[in-house]
Amino acid sequence: MASDDPLSVTDDALLVLYANGDPGAARTLTARLLPRVFAHAQRLLGDAAEAEDVAQEAMVRLWRIAPDWRQGEAQVTTWLYRVTANLCTDRLRKRRGVGLDEIAEPQDPSPGAVAQIQDRARRDALQEALDQLPERQRQAVVLRHLEGLANPEIAQVMEISPRAVESLTARGKRALTAILAGRRAELGYDDEKAG
Amino acid sequence: MKKQDKDAESATVEAMLDAARKTPPPVPERLMARVLADAEALQPAAVTAPARNRSGFFARMGEFIGGWQGMGGLVAATCAGIWIGWNPPAALPDAGALILGYDTAEVMSTTAELTSFGWDVDGG
Repeated sequence: MASDDPLSVTDDALLVLYANGDPGAARTLTARLLPRVFAHAQRLLGDAAEAEDVAQEAMVRLWRIAPDWRQGEAQVTTWLYRVTANLCTDRLRKRRGVGLDEIAEPQDPSPGAVAQIQDRARRDALQEALDQLPERQRQAVVLRHLEGLANPEIAQVMEISPRAVESLTARGKRALTAILAGRRAELGYDDEKAG
Repeated sequence: MKKQDKDAESATVEAMLDAARKTPPPVPERLMARVLADAEALQPAAVTAPARNRSGFFARMGEFIGGWQGMGGLVAATCAGIWIGWNPPAALPDAGALILGYDTAEVMSTTAELTSFGWDVDGG
């Protein structure tokens, strides 16, 4: 069966196999797509628990659409990013007005693990900055700079033109820079340069 | 802000984005398990050949008329029909004579056997 060699099978072919009852297709698709869906949701929401729920729901929608999926019409990842972003938007609208101070405090690390603390601080600082961006800018920056998508694919996900993507990512990055300005020393970047 | 500072801030953001891209958040095991459970529950049944592969003509006809019980009833009804046609009860009029327009009982009685199977047509 085609799913014996998962790396050689495209996402939409795997989806068709899943719809035909292949038991291995779901495992391969989940291993391939869930990390991206979960990471995308977490970066858009800034909340791991909510991101889990969104990722699960996005994958449920994928399983449901499998029997009707038309091979070659759209990329599964593009479709999934769009579904994930829409689910995140719904969540963000519901919690609008709620404070953004729900990011978990760093866990107590092992003694001497300064690098770990610093990495965590940097990730949190970036997430806090992302959370402050307007929704569309955040989505564009995350897709471009964290998920590594090319502008044409981002344009498909967001259903806008590639030029609009360029504009959103440029403005988003400028805004990130402004938000994070002055935190270089706090996040240990001055020390790195000095060292 | 000096250009040097601007470049430094921009480099900081680049470095942070780069680090975040290289270390995506790990997928919790429980989420993986939930997603796989959903996939199993929502997966359409496998497309396989039916267990009872009775695709022959007689097998399909047998199923159509209701199996061996239906076939038994059909055989019994056929035998009864042949018997009544061959040796009709005296109380019954001859259907063949009625259709051919014989009016009297005498004609009907003398022609009964001939018209029963349409032999009168062949015999002239």
